Amino acid sequence: MPYAIETVNLTKYFTPTPGLGRLLAHPFRKKGVVKAVEDVNIQVKRGEIFGLLGPNGAGKTTLLKLLSTLILPTKGEAYVNGYNVLKDEAGVKESIGLVTGEERCFYWRLTGRQNLEFFAILYNLSSAQIKKRIGEVAELLEIGGMLNIFFKEYSTGMKQRLSLARSLLPNPQILFMDEPTKSLDPTAAKNLRTFIREKLVSQQKKTVFLTTHQMNEAQELCDRIAIIDQGRIKACGTLKELQSKAGIPEATLEEIFSYFTSK
Amino acid sequence: MFLRKPLAFIKRDFLVEISYRFSFLLNLFSILFWVVTFFFISKLFGESAAPYLKDYGGEYFPFVLIGLAFSTYLGVGLQSFSGSIRREQMMGTLEAMLLTPTKISVLVVSLSLWSFIRTSLNVLVYLLLGIFLFKVSLNLTHLLPAFIILILTIISFSSLGIIAAGFIIVFKRGNPITWLFTTLSILLGGVYYPISILPPPLQKFSHLLPITYSLRGIRNSLLGDPSWGALLPNIIALAIFSVILLPLGILVFNYAIKKAKRDGSLIQY
Repeated sequence: MPYAIETVNLTKYFTPTPGLGRLLAHPFRKKGVVKAVEDVNIQVKRGEIFGLLGPNGAGKTTLLKLLSTLILPTKGEAYVNGYNVLKDEAGVKESIGLVTGEERCFYWRLTGRQNLEFFAILYNLSSAQIKKRIGEVAELLEIGGMLNIFFKEYSTGMKQRLSLARSLLPNPQILFMDEPTKSLDPTAAKNLRTFIREKLVSQQKKTVFLTTHQMNEAQELCDRIAIIDQGRIKACGTLKELQSKAGIPEATLEEIFSYFTSK
Repeated sequence: MFLRKPLAFIKRDFLVEISYRFSFLLNLFSILFWVVTFFFISKLFGESAAPYLKDYGGEYFPFVLIGLAFSTYLGVGLQSFSGSIRREQMMGTLEAMLLTPTKISVLVVSLSLWSFIRTSLNVLVYLLLGIFLFKVSLNLTHLLPAFIILILTIISFSSLGIIAAGFIIVFKRGNPITWLFTTLSILLGGVYYPISILPPPLQKFSHLLPITYSLRGIRNSLLGDPSWGALLPNIIALAIFSVILLPLGILVFNYAIKKAKRDGSLIQY
């Protein structure tokens, strides 16, 4: 499998649950379908930073959850590190780490270290590995000094770094990042982008698949960008390739985005 | 090691629990108030309740003390699985757990372990208060059958709880299993009064509830002097409940997980 991630006509439709009022008023009306992701075909190379750029509700998070086995596809196929997301969930989970922009995903009354130790056990790390790995990720992320503080006392930036530390515990080959700089201030966001580029990809040779709706982030960080809107990939490639596809040689990413999404 | 993950959950929940020190004290006082309240209620009944309680030593206070103590397993069995899943959903930690190579069955059981340990400590407090403060006399020569009944009780109640967790995963709120079994068990299961005082048609419904056999078996073991033969019907009934409900619970739960993954609602709350 040459690609870190590959999807073939990957599709996800949701059937929203009707409210009680609507159900009582029209009990036999056929439910509508929301096309969250439709016929997505992408290939992400190993060691690449691949950005999924799209407006809110475009299907970015759904696609990420499909790839991380949290949602089952309606049709199509997806392979992560060569593992089929439907047939080899365990293989996929062993290959990935997920970082979200979500601030609440830890135990607030435990310290950072206690949180990491708990999740490290869930990742099947041995006691010796846990100590070693927490030391390594703490050094990598420069969070050694904050690990013995309760999570409830962390700033947003610290929470985000701890989230990144957790995703790196099992030393995954592929990192999924769902709007990782969403709640960070500009300086912290820039630091995180530098960290992703220099440490995770250049040094550690990891593949990063991130979603964002920030043009500057996508342009600054990603090797290739896929523009997604209404569940469909509108265009995919390097900035040069996107400019060429749009037929606007010197266009900014914002202009290219507008061209493909009419927004 | 097989128990590493469950032990990690117990350690985590213990650390969180002791960080709420006032809650721990409040729980102890709450048990004390319940026990004292029922002690005085039992004074009101005096000897008049004795004919109904002849199988359990004839006194109301030891009877209700066992009912109060062991019915807590019903509450925790029915609510801890669904409650802990919902709590993790709301905290945002369920997603992080589901991405680890941990089986969902291990997650579900481990999430509830601390609740069962805490409940067992509560039961111990109930019994110690009864023994040392109110001089209740328990027969400790039948601890083995009482333990077997307790294990089967936990399996039966937990199976219902796992079915309830399936409902929570799909519907998020509005859990009919917990409501139905808690209400019926309090009314018909013999927690506060022996089922022999119920009208005969209602007594038939009592026999459809696992708690009826649990409380009868444990009361007989700790308050009477029964033979194994006398306890066997309760053990068999609970074993049948366990054999039917546990696979059903696992089936319902697996279906719920699959449906939630299909609907994309697994980590929503």
